[in-house]
Amino acid sequence: MVDRPLDEAGLVERARSGDLDAWETIVRTHQGLAFRTAYLLTGNAADAEEAAQDGFVKAYRAFGRFRRGAELRPWLLRIVANEARNRRRSAGRRERLALRASAAEVRPGDAVPSPEAALLAGEQRERLLAAVEALPDDQRDAIACRYLLGLTGAETAAALGVRAGTVKSRLSRALARLRETLEEGGA
Amino acid sequence: MNELELRLEELGREVAFPPTPDLAPAVLERTYRKRVAWGRASVAVALAVVALAAAFSVPQARTAILDFFHLGGATVVRVDTLPQTTERSHAAGLGFPVTLQEAQRRTRVRLVLPPGERPSRAYVLGDALVTVVLKAYGKAVLLSEFGSFGPGSLQKLVAQEADVETTRVNGGEALWIAGPHAFEYFGRNGFHQAPVREQGNVLLWLHGDQTLRLEGPLTKAQALELARRTR
Repeated sequence: MVDRPLDEAGLVERARSGDLDAWETIVRTHQGLAFRTAYLLTGNAADAEEAAQDGFVKAYRAFGRFRRGAELRPWLLRIVANEARNRRRSAGRRERLALRASAAEVRPGDAVPSPEAALLAGEQRERLLAAVEALPDDQRDAIACRYLLGLTGAETAAALGVRAGTVKSRLSRALARLRETLEEGGA
Repeated sequence: MNELELRLEELGREVAFPPTPDLAPAVLERTYRKRVAWGRASVAVALAVVALAAAFSVPQARTAILDFFHLGGATVVRVDTLPQTTERSHAAGLGFPVTLQEAQRRTRVRLVLPPGERPSRAYVLGDALVTVVLKAYGKAVLLSEFGSFGPGSLQKLVAQEADVETTRVNGGEALWIAGPHAFEYFGRNGFHQAPVREQGNVLLWLHGDQTLRLEGPLTKAQALELARRTR
């Protein structure tokens, strides 16, 4: 996924004036992160796809209210995440996150770990993911947005629909809880 | 950032997210539909105003049919007066945008394009007419393709002063239209697009059981050259 196009302000202006090519570029640039954010919040791919799609359509209709010069990504994420949260409220159980099968792959330049070390690292990742999933929803969502998706603090606040200070306190509580859980488990 | 935070970031790179679906076609279609709905409402109001003005200023409307030409699914009708129409830009009134693959699936038209042309999207009007925007001779031109499921599905109304010539493309019949004309389309299942006034010249020709139409600011020689390469 492309992170941010060089001339985002120009694209936004063109999209606001009805240029569908510019709007398509914006959608394609942000659809990956929008979908993953929606997936973390809804817990399933079908709801995430609907939420992201509805979010983009609503964002287009709301372009008139987008403040010139503001960053587009947090604004889009706020709208998509709001759609995702609404779906989660009405939906049932959330699917648990899983690790990729190739999670233990070796990156170029890394030393090749022994089979025992690779197994241990895999187990530690599984334990950490299980500990994240066991957090209360508000803390789990903050950790997921901030670290698993790599959003900034402001983007996390936008996605969760809360103030930046609230994100900080949720993260702080979540990290303390994770440390406790991992220490208890000897990780 | 402390060690736990770094481990969480690393974990994020290893979570098995489902593959991201391509949201753009559906988002664009829904965006476009909404715009067309608003656009149609404003055009309807504008036409009502024009019609009222015309009713008060013109004692009697005259539109006599002077001549007919048929080619595949297209009919060209020469009239003495073009009907009241909206004027269309290249961007509007083409239908809704989808990928080329999706356009072919919906319309059952097998798109033929000039070599080297692969537009990122096609526009579908009704359920049988596909249009792509191409660049030729430094100008934007429209290439429309539709199955020849009966004469009159695409109707051209041409003014008296317009030129209509029969010609040939790759050995098959073709029609060249230069001058004022309007475009009207009747799709399958009762779809109808009211006449829109077109800018530019038009070449109509047959390719297998499909009728092709090239519209744009090209000369006859340029249009024929492009048509010959479209196969």
